[in-house]
Amino acid sequence: MNIAPQISATGPLAGLSVVELGDGTAGPYAAKLLGDFGAEVVKIEGPEGDSTRRRGPFPGGRPDPEASGLFLYLNINKRGVVLDINREDGRDALDRLLAPADIFITNLPMARLQAAGVAPAALRARYPRLIVTTITPFGLKGPWAGRRGDELVTYAMGGIAYSTPGMPDAANDLEREPPLHPACFAAETITGLCAGLATLTAVLGRAKTQDGCYLDVSQQAAVASMQHRDVTSHSYLGGTFNRLLNPTTIGRMPNFYLPCKDGYVTIPAPMDVHWERLVEAMGNPAWALTPEFSTSPARTANWIELRMRLINWTMTLSGDELYGLANQTQLPIFQFYPVRKLVGSEQVQARNSVVDVEIGNRRAKMPGAPFAMRASPWTLRRPAPRLGEHNAAILGERAAVLS
Amino acid sequence: MSNAPRPLPLDGVRVLDLGQFIAMPFCALWLAWLGAEVIVVESRRRLTSRTGPPFAPSLEGNPDASGYFNQICSAKKSCTLDMTTAAGRDIVRRLAGKVDVMVDNFSTGVLEKLGLGHDVVGKLNPGLIMVSCGAFGRSGPMKNARGLHSAVNLFSGVADVTGYLDGEPRILGGVLPDPLSGTYGMFAIMAALHHRERTGQGQFIDLAMYEAMMTLIPEAVIDLTLNDADPKRAGNRDKLKAPHGIYPCRGPDTWVAISVDGDNDWRALCRASGRTEWLGDPRFADAEGRLTHVGVLDAAVEQWTRGVSVGEAVDTLQAAGVAAGPIVRCDQLLDDPQLQAHGSVVTIDHPTAGPHRQLGLPWQMDSLGVEYRRAPLLGEHTHDILTGLLGIDEAEYARLETAGVLS
Repeated sequence: MNIAPQISATGPLAGLSVVELGDGTAGPYAAKLLGDFGAEVVKIEGPEGDSTRRRGPFPGGRPDPEASGLFLYLNINKRGVVLDINREDGRDALDRLLAPADIFITNLPMARLQAAGVAPAALRARYPRLIVTTITPFGLKGPWAGRRGDELVTYAMGGIAYSTPGMPDAANDLEREPPLHPACFAAETITGLCAGLATLTAVLGRAKTQDGCYLDVSQQAAVASMQHRDVTSHSYLGGTFNRLLNPTTIGRMPNFYLPCKDGYVTIPAPMDVHWERLVEAMGNPAWALTPEFSTSPARTANWIELRMRLINWTMTLSGDELYGLANQTQLPIFQFYPVRKLVGSEQVQARNSVVDVEIGNRRAKMPGAPFAMRASPWTLRRPAPRLGEHNAAILGERAAVLS
Repeated sequence: MSNAPRPLPLDGVRVLDLGQFIAMPFCALWLAWLGAEVIVVESRRRLTSRTGPPFAPSLEGNPDASGYFNQICSAKKSCTLDMTTAAGRDIVRRLAGKVDVMVDNFSTGVLEKLGLGHDVVGKLNPGLIMVSCGAFGRSGPMKNARGLHSAVNLFSGVADVTGYLDGEPRILGGVLPDPLSGTYGMFAIMAALHHRERTGQGQFIDLAMYEAMMTLIPEAVIDLTLNDADPKRAGNRDKLKAPHGIYPCRGPDTWVAISVDGDNDWRALCRASGRTEWLGDPRFADAEGRLTHVGVLDAAVEQWTRGVSVGEAVDTLQAAGVAAGPIVRCDQLLDDPQLQAHGSVVTIDHPTAGPHRQLGLPWQMDSLGVEYRRAPLLGEHTHDILTGLLGIDEAEYARLETAGVLS
């Protein structure tokens, strides 16, 4: 796929204009989603640039603010200007950008917005039709409103770190296996998505009210909102959760995540009918037919032994061989795909789940559209901006030297 | 702010919810709260969504007391139809002709076999926006593969970046692929509504749960394809920040998350924890040193956190301006004072199940409204929808009822 020939496509959000004052993932991702689907996004960076420019991955691991993979991914389809909002001319330029805009998205700390005169209340008063979306770690109200939080802290306070590793995987030892955060910007991405969604609902609402809207997005609440199932369990049943591998957390046995010859597989066979198919697939081993394992209560009572027996079997087979049994047994057996195997898979190729991106004169792949819209597809219209690339084009010659 | 009810952003949008389990019912849930009229099609013959635990206390098995249903279908309408009958399928087709949005996450091909695929309903209603969601999407060689949330975790690459130091790939807690896909589905619907406003054109949206999850790991995909580098699992450590981790506190199974971003944060942590001796330790003076000696550093931080309660650790560090927070369990979320203060915890009363709390939208709005209304009783709106929306007369309704089509 080549980026250049696709400039003509517009997308479902063509005509919406967005000003992003973002840093890291959450704010930039919200604006990226809008831009990827056709909105005109102007990204504002401070003179030091978005911190993601310093994160990478860089070609060959050599830091270069214009060749950070994560920055180039998060800021594709945007134009970029550099403004110092601590200075009056920077604030004036920001005002000139906001006056005609539909949407302002930011995830900078509230204190910085206040200092720059772009706190939500001030913006709502100044631009009544503007949709103002702020992303903060905990939202604007409450005992944590002024506290510091980032990816790790908001993720931890949103419930999901505690419950990881999660079903059918689980911790063998609560002490040695702490709550776990994946090595990615999960909380910020979830929040960026929620903020993008909130913003679009407000655009629809504005068509009714002719009034802008202030959207106060909490990163903690966004992560927590994804814990719908576990919150329901607690709301109706009560009780305390823990992460330990046992029949209380896993349910009927076997329902395991196990090592195999070259990887890892899930072996779910919780009902008798599933178990019978699994036993057949294993070649009817004598142990599986003994009273210790032949009934569901017995399998649950002897689950530790059952798990060991199954590991002895899975270790004799490859992930592909075990996954092949999913069709034969109609059991939802599945194997672990390393990112390498995922990216090379026929499924990812067939769906264009990853697309080309140029990073410092090198070709790489990045995640593509998060869903396929048949009539108004996701498009790559322009690469992420170099630092201050569009100052002159957007703000005029005078502003070209603002930074 | 006046007391007049604020307009609901999605007032006037009608949605047909053929969702199963969590992903698509969750997608339609937020739409309902934001004012859309969401019609859930269910059947007494195959009551999948109302039969599993949890139930309200002492109402085990009562379909109107299902916690799962009442929370994920709050603010929706219930229309009972037997889709195994030709007349039932015909009514669903007629409903598809009257709605703006339709969502489904049946196994790939099921709707087509029922004569309800986009090939049919898209022709009946060219303005229809249809989100069809599968673990692996509706195209590609794996489109028919079965996938629970764990399979989506394992396929999407997220498991490859989740795990303890040099350990095996682990599976995320909760069922994140489901609500995350549902949220992408909502975003897609909003974008498609914009597109339709300008063009009058509806469309089909093919949503793969694994692609939703892949949006969490751009760094890993890029590092692999740019530098041929596979992810290295390292617990809760970060490649640029240290200390960055989840550390045990005094008291069993209690933990604090600490994220130190830069040398100022580090010095603040040393002073706040009273471990001023670390200030003079040259190994820890800058981020590069702290990352090089991260094992020693984590052990030192843990030695401090083990001696204090979670609350003390958090308050001490936050007072010093360091990002820190307690590890909150899912059964603690509804009582979390910050989520409550933000307005994320809502209580919804229900005539059978009584009042229960759940988490609402993760954002607050100043000029637009949200309504957290109760879930419908089983079949509560069947009559209204058939005789009102579809204009079926009473005699025909009675005939359909007698024939078992509405059960």
